[in-house]
Amino acid sequence: MTAPNSIEELYRERGSRARALHDAGEKVIGYFCCFVPDEILTAFGFVPFRIQGSQSEPIDEADALLEPMACPFARSCFNLALKGRYDFLDGFVAPHSCDTIERMYHIWHSNKPSPFNHLINVPHMLGPSSDSFFRKELEYFISRLEEFTGKKLDPGRLQDAIRIYNRRRFLLRELYGLRRESPPRVSGTEITKVLVAGMGIPAAEHIELIEAMIGEVKKRPAPAPDGLPRIFLWGNEIDDVAFVSLVEECGAHVVMDDLCTGSRFFWQDVSETGDPVEALAKRYLCTHCPRSLKPQAGDRKEDLENRFGYIREFIREWKADGAIFYIVRYCDTCELEGPDLKEYLTDLKLPVLMIEDDYSTSTIGQLRTRIQAFLEMIL
Amino acid sequence: MEQAQQAKTTAVKGTDTAREVRALVKNIYRSAHEAKAEGKKVAYMMVASQYDEILRAMDIVPLPTENYAGLCAAKRDMDRFLLKAEADGYSQVLCSYARIGLGFDSLRKELGHIPEGSPDGGMPVPDMMLGSSAVCDPRFKWYQATSRYLEVPTYGIDVVAPPPQDDLNAVRDYYIQYQRDQLKGLIGFLEAQTGRKMDPDRLWECIRLGDKAWQLWYDIDRLRVAIPCPMPSQDHFSIMVAGHYYTGTQIAVDFYQKLYDEVKYKVDHKIGVIPDEKYRILYGGGLPPWHTLWIFNYFESFGAVFVIENVYRGYDPVEVPSFVKDPVDFLAWRAFLRFTRYHEKARSRSGNPIVEKLLDMIADYRIDGVVFHACRSCRATTIGQTHIKSELGKYSDLPMMQLVSDMVDLRDYSEAQWKAQIGAFMEALEGRSRG
Repeated sequence: MTAPNSIEELYRERGSRARALHDAGEKVIGYFCCFVPDEILTAFGFVPFRIQGSQSEPIDEADALLEPMACPFARSCFNLALKGRYDFLDGFVAPHSCDTIERMYHIWHSNKPSPFNHLINVPHMLGPSSDSFFRKELEYFISRLEEFTGKKLDPGRLQDAIRIYNRRRFLLRELYGLRRESPPRVSGTEITKVLVAGMGIPAAEHIELIEAMIGEVKKRPAPAPDGLPRIFLWGNEIDDVAFVSLVEECGAHVVMDDLCTGSRFFWQDVSETGDPVEALAKRYLCTHCPRSLKPQAGDRKEDLENRFGYIREFIREWKADGAIFYIVRYCDTCELEGPDLKEYLTDLKLPVLMIEDDYSTSTIGQLRTRIQAFLEMIL
Repeated sequence: MEQAQQAKTTAVKGTDTAREVRALVKNIYRSAHEAKAEGKKVAYMMVASQYDEILRAMDIVPLPTENYAGLCAAKRDMDRFLLKAEADGYSQVLCSYARIGLGFDSLRKELGHIPEGSPDGGMPVPDMMLGSSAVCDPRFKWYQATSRYLEVPTYGIDVVAPPPQDDLNAVRDYYIQYQRDQLKGLIGFLEAQTGRKMDPDRLWECIRLGDKAWQLWYDIDRLRVAIPCPMPSQDHFSIMVAGHYYTGTQIAVDFYQKLYDEVKYKVDHKIGVIPDEKYRILYGGGLPPWHTLWIFNYFESFGAVFVIENVYRGYDPVEVPSFVKDPVDFLAWRAFLRFTRYHEKARSRSGNPIVEKLLDMIADYRIDGVVFHACRSCRATTIGQTHIKSELGKYSDLPMMQLVSDMVDLRDYSEAQWKAQIGAFMEALEGRSRG
């Protein structure tokens, strides 16, 4: 089977590989967001599984237990859990990434308990004392896993896991790099599938697929210039191709992103020197998520640069012509961050379209006209 | 009749002392204006951030922006601020406290002065903004966004609490250490802003006053177990002003002493909120409907009194170990003990500290029914209500109801729907009392 076919299958049959591994006797730990280190789970011999929702399935059972004004991504995940779709999980870990995830952890734990359940507290503030606290939280998490497995964490295995995930990060960056070309040889839709497919399989298997995908993409002939605008996507959870495909169908190339399901979760490496737990704490805490607060730096302009300077680099290197924000409704931190980022990008003369949506493919079609109008404006 | 009710927002209070709160509220904003005129430092701040006494000890005048949003709603003067924030790009589902604050600051910047007719004279431009992660996400993110409208030094602190499943012996030290580090970071920031070092003796004095006021507040709430109820929830939503906005001052101590005396007198003389108390209701959670506080009186017309509540409460008193000699250490310890007060109990039964607290209230206050208020724009106090209701149902057969609107945004409120729901709830209470 070719890499794109394998990826397509894993993308469509989400959880199938993790379920098969569970059935074969492996232990699978499900987790949320970008703050749970895969490396620690892998070092203990678990298969890390990043929990996803389903934009194409209605949320029908969760509403009886979880208020409809909660983030629809979280509600969708919980809905799938209630339907037994995540019964293969041997453990459930949530970071205190935001109000919704933290509160949902308790509801999930109470209604669908796993053999192992844990909440990692993640500081919202960034700074040296936050690094120290988060390191302690990771050490406590490790001690809970040691208690659960009955074995001590092997530091060598943790270092190995760090190297494996750094290898995956390197390859994903290389794959993203292939979209620097104009026009790119690989689409945003394809890349979304690569990312989502990798969320439920061991890193070593994902690495093989990415390597094969990179090889396949590099063999593609360079497309003829098409003059289509190049789009940078910002927001939170896009674990379905529907929105990215819509943007591309409307006549654009999605070339770069800053999403929880995109560059945000893999862009920075974990340091391979020094204490591995400290390295993990520093790396995961500096994830660029609106739920974290960087200390104010200088005046408004300087502060925005301090917060969003990395996005300026993305825009420059990937030659974006416009930015589209896709905010899953009820995400308070994104709702507060969006206008600030819009101001920053507008100052960079980059057109911005801000969309708030319900994490549902049934509503995405309504966005077509807005996206088309935006793309026409850019051209 | 319907129109007359729509125009009314506030509730008739049960105690005389609660009626004095309006002056305390006015004084918050007047003091801030006066402080600005005198060159004192004024800070936008968030209640329950565990830093109240530090601000008082450093002579920084607190300006609680959430409270201002509630005030605007009680005055039914919120729409112009909400709409302004939404016009500036903020979502209609974002925390409505934050939307009012952002809209107010945006209008003030645009006009070059405080919007005309703003409730209680409006808020002056602060010298600094102090966010915190206590309670919810918007409380540390809101002021960062506000820097769009006013460029003043801004600082945020984490306020952390372990989940109930954690082994407290394993996590206590580093949680307290982090809280201490966060508070010390804030003190460093405030010292830089004021040009003065914090005096530990003054901080101890403010802590002493704070704890004394909160002890009195706790004692008042314990008096409320009496039948008939001497002080209803609508009074709580007024009298909390002293505990949350005057923490660490003699004003709060004096206020609660006076209120204690009045409530004690009512208990001793069996003076209830209404002449014929038929049902005792627990306000189970959710921010109060500031736009429609008269709804508590509407319940009373059926003989139902809200006798206790689980929001904007004072903390139960905690015993900080005597070996803690530093005031900042004390604040860090106190915060940890406050937040973990029901953890052990939760671990031994429901797993949920809020459920345990509510079950205690149901027993102690001899509750007949529980009402929650789901606020469409407040995730922190709304997510989990349905779950808590369901968990409570495992240990209690009381009628429970969830009303839905918002804490300040009237567009999410339907009086007809509420009255229909309340009618059905009263029937359930009546059926249960007959049965």
